[in-house]
Amino acid sequence: MGLLQGATELFPVSSLGHSVIIPSILHWQFKQSDPTFVPFLVLLHLGTAGALLVLYRDQWVAIIRGFFTAAVRGRITTEPERLAMLLLTGTIPAGILGVYFETRIKSLFASPYVAAAFLVVNGILLIAFELLRRRAEQRTAVHSMTRAEQEQSFAEAERISFRAAAIIGACQALAFLPGISRSGVTIGGGLLAGLRHQEAARFSFLLATPVILAAGLVEVPQLFAGGVPVGEYLAAAVLSGVAAYASARFLLRYFRSGRLDPYGFYCIAAGLLSLALLHFGL
Amino acid sequence: MKSRTVAIGLGVLGVVFVIIAVLYALGVLQLFTSTTSGPHYKHAILFVVLAVASFVAANFARPKTA
Repeated sequence: MGLLQGATELFPVSSLGHSVIIPSILHWQFKQSDPTFVPFLVLLHLGTAGALLVLYRDQWVAIIRGFFTAAVRGRITTEPERLAMLLLTGTIPAGILGVYFETRIKSLFASPYVAAAFLVVNGILLIAFELLRRRAEQRTAVHSMTRAEQEQSFAEAERISFRAAAIIGACQALAFLPGISRSGVTIGGGLLAGLRHQEAARFSFLLATPVILAAGLVEVPQLFAGGVPVGEYLAAAVLSGVAAYASARFLLRYFRSGRLDPYGFYCIAAGLLSLALLHFGL
Repeated sequence: MKSRTVAIGLGVLGVVFVIIAVLYALGVLQLFTSTTSGPHYKHAILFVVLAVASFVAANFARPKTA
């Protein structure tokens, strides 16, 4: 489960959806209705957050320093300061929606059918994001360039507007639905805001870290109170972190010229296959 | 938008958010929560973040002397 979650968390294919569907299809002994199931997933997410902190350690130091500098001065003068404020802006809508819709969304976690259906929706969203991006590329007359050149004509994460950051943050809340990928919707949102694929991925990964850490702070004590095998769960979290680190490195390289649509087609196929397997009890 | 009035408004909003955060953390406030008793730390953390954002925004909105 740790490897599965870590490998799928940063890919735009919904780790939560996979974590709900695959144990059910493979008949793994996880009680998805168990109160420790969601905190266990959160612990795996903490492994991912740890990997992201390691990957972006220098940037996080600059962002945190930039946040305090800009907050005290009341003015943004450098790119890390702007990025810090963009991340704060993006985190707030996700936090509000997550806190107030958590209970209703959690009730969906126990259903692999719902997760499989949302996985199909996630695939359609990813393909839609790429279609809209291709239109933007045609409008800006970059369709005759190579892919790498096309990407260079779009913006870096620090250049997006605060409104766009808030909208991307709100999109992040969709990922509380099992089957909808946090990285998928936030990378897609970044593309719509005019970012390069690689920069959209970077912004997505940076935006995910505070929310995952905050969720972990709140949920993990429940995990330890439940009398669960903590050692095994921590080992799973470490494996999740290792897999997430490798995934992030791969994706940042992939998005230099790669697109979201292969993942969109994968999600649609995996969602439909999962629905069939679950329906026929295979 | 630089305005003393906006800055004061955002500062007051920040104070209100701090009070709400404390009330959620103490379990006094049970508004829009999944259980009807006990502290709600997740809600409290959210309002602390909102308070920080309000104070930061207030400082940004405050007219600066040259």
